[in-house]
Amino acid sequence: MTIDLRELRGLLIDDVAEMRTTVRIQLADAGLERCDTARNVKEAVERLGANRYDLVICDYNLGQGADGQQLLELVRRRQLLPPTTAFLMITGETSYEQVSTAAEYAPDDYLIKPFTSGTLHTRLERILEKKEALRPVYQHMGERGDRAKALATCDALLAQPSRYSLDVLRLKGDLLLQTRRQDEALALYEGVLRQRATPWAEVGRARALAAAGREDRAREHLNAALAAYPNYLAAYDSLAGLLKKTDAAAAQQVVEQALKVAPSTRRQRSLGALALDNRDFSRAEEAFRRAVEKDRTGFFKSHDDYAGLAKSCVEQGKTQEALSVVKEMGDHFSRTPELAARQAAVESLVHSRAGDSAAAKAALDRALAVQQEAGLDPTTALEIAQACFADGRNDEARRIIQAVAEEHYEDDTVFAQAQSVFAAAGLKEEGAIFLEVTKKRMIKLNNDAVALAKAGQLEQAITMLQEAADRLTSNCQVSLNAAIALLMHIHKRGPDADRLAQAHRYISQAIVANRDHAKLPEAVALYRKVAPEGAPVLDI
Amino acid sequence: MDAFVAAAIHDAKNSLNALGAWLDEAGRECPSPALHQAQTLAARLSAQLVELLVLYRAGEGTLRLAIDDHDVADFLADTMAELELTDHRDIAFTCDPGTGTAIGHWAFDAYLVRFALLDALRNALRHARSRVALTVALEPGGGMRFTVTDDGTGFPGDVLDGGVGEMAPGSSGLGIAFARLIAARHATPGGRHGHVELANANGASFSLVLP
Repeated sequence: MTIDLRELRGLLIDDVAEMRTTVRIQLADAGLERCDTARNVKEAVERLGANRYDLVICDYNLGQGADGQQLLELVRRRQLLPPTTAFLMITGETSYEQVSTAAEYAPDDYLIKPFTSGTLHTRLERILEKKEALRPVYQHMGERGDRAKALATCDALLAQPSRYSLDVLRLKGDLLLQTRRQDEALALYEGVLRQRATPWAEVGRARALAAAGREDRAREHLNAALAAYPNYLAAYDSLAGLLKKTDAAAAQQVVEQALKVAPSTRRQRSLGALALDNRDFSRAEEAFRRAVEKDRTGFFKSHDDYAGLAKSCVEQGKTQEALSVVKEMGDHFSRTPELAARQAAVESLVHSRAGDSAAAKAALDRALAVQQEAGLDPTTALEIAQACFADGRNDEARRIIQAVAEEHYEDDTVFAQAQSVFAAAGLKEEGAIFLEVTKKRMIKLNNDAVALAKAGQLEQAITMLQEAADRLTSNCQVSLNAAIALLMHIHKRGPDADRLAQAHRYISQAIVANRDHAKLPEAVALYRKVAPEGAPVLDI
Repeated sequence: MDAFVAAAIHDAKNSLNALGAWLDEAGRECPSPALHQAQTLAARLSAQLVELLVLYRAGEGTLRLAIDDHDVADFLADTMAELELTDHRDIAFTCDPGTGTAIGHWAFDAYLVRFALLDALRNALRHARSRVALTVALEPGGGMRFTVTDDGTGFPGDVLDGGVGEMAPGSSGLGIAFARLIAARHATPGGRHGHVELANANGASFSLVLP
């Protein structure tokens, strides 16, 4: 297969004008004549938002505290870079190791300077050919993709011999893990590892084991993998994620090691949060300060960095510094309810810690007023809960945490954050019990409803689940069970436009909350089975 | 090695790369054998400086390998593309990328292993009488072996014994020290490590075995 680069459109990102000129000439030599350029992260994000590119060529070092790896993560997360677009990173000899072993968002290939036009041409052809071969899978991935179809396409491609079989297996492993088919993922990774040792399959196997609840085995494999591949960032990320639940001090050490391999604002944030949990406030301050100050583009920072910095300052008695950070936070982000509530909650926390209860109360009232007006993300809501504990409004804090935990009872990250809030208030044991009870209550609600439905009491099940689904709009399991109960009713008792519309609304609600939920395909299949022609179509 | 020396080597390497780019441009405008020779020399010097820097980083404890899967046939093709075979028209060079295709993929640091192999290949081309070969094969007990052979006079005895002493006029032993380091730094979670094997059999035989 020969790919004519003349028909393609590229984007070259480099902050050094001479390099842009040189690489552009080399790209033209290789046949890529239609090539836009971007000088920095802001321009790159604008171009990627406005145009569709076949190929992005990006220098690792982008100045302003930004690098190509962070840019790649950002544009993939924001869905500005479709999986069908090829991404080639250009690096110096001293930074290639950070690019080539990148974790979740690896470039399609990297090229180490200096290189000739001929080498560039060969590499471009190679990655474009691979992209083309994998296009049938990629087109079912991304924001509006259908993972079941992507998996079926993987199997179809694997049925024929191809030089890209291994790449397909790698994609298939990720898809199986995303759709919680961990047993199949484990079999896939073990199959690869029986042939030879390779880091991606080692990490994949550990993730599959962890997802299946075998966390001890997962940790053992990750430690062994890191001994052999001390540069493999995905192994650090997975290990830190596992340790966070049981040993925050060890998790902090693992993130510190990963930061020695490759700098990243995301990992500084993660280190800061762990250090805060571990009451290692000076280390937390250092990590959050790096996140805030290193990134002069502003694209990689989050509210969490400023909130964490303010909290680590005040814990060390630096009240004025903490208040300045809260103020600065308002200068760096667009004005949203989340920002207003987060600023007010952190300000309240700072005042509480500094002993100014009147100021703490005033700020917390502002945060709670915003929460009344707008639905907030779980992180912001939990920040308000923490401020409530600090202000002595413990019942209010518990009410907020309960609401968040009921909505997100399947989300381990949110539960870990909620546990941190209890721990910061000195209520670690109470928190563990409170969250466990909440989780069990949600599981019981679903189980009871399913039991009612199975016993033929479909009406009662529907009433129970609808009441919960209307209250807990981010709770996927409840929304999907409500939809399934409604659809079963239609299936058994005949067409009912109202119930069908309600089922449609609950499935849509679940898609917004988590489009990768394991139960979603079942609900969608049932909807499609019972929906008559002309009924509203599901947007997945 | 002193940090200042390392920094100076780093700068010198970058300057050599810039010089290489200028020579490339000059060669395009007005091709000449002398310019080509100068370019080849600049590339070789730059490669040696990279090897020195890698050895320095290993000594400092900051060398980290980037192990990931690579298509072995592509790797062989890329390695060949960097070898200046036109300067050795009297040598018959063989390398069958098909053997790489049969292996498929292997996990290793392609950048550093390529440096080690290119060094061994240049060495072989310099010492061969008429032929040089690069082969790749799977090891019976696990692992993958790259072998560079030539029909020259073979390695001196002290080099075969593991020394890095004077190999021949113009050779510092840097290449072999570098290859041994890179091979040994390749490991598997099962505890296997890479290594280098040198032998003389109708010429020199250099093998880099990856775990």
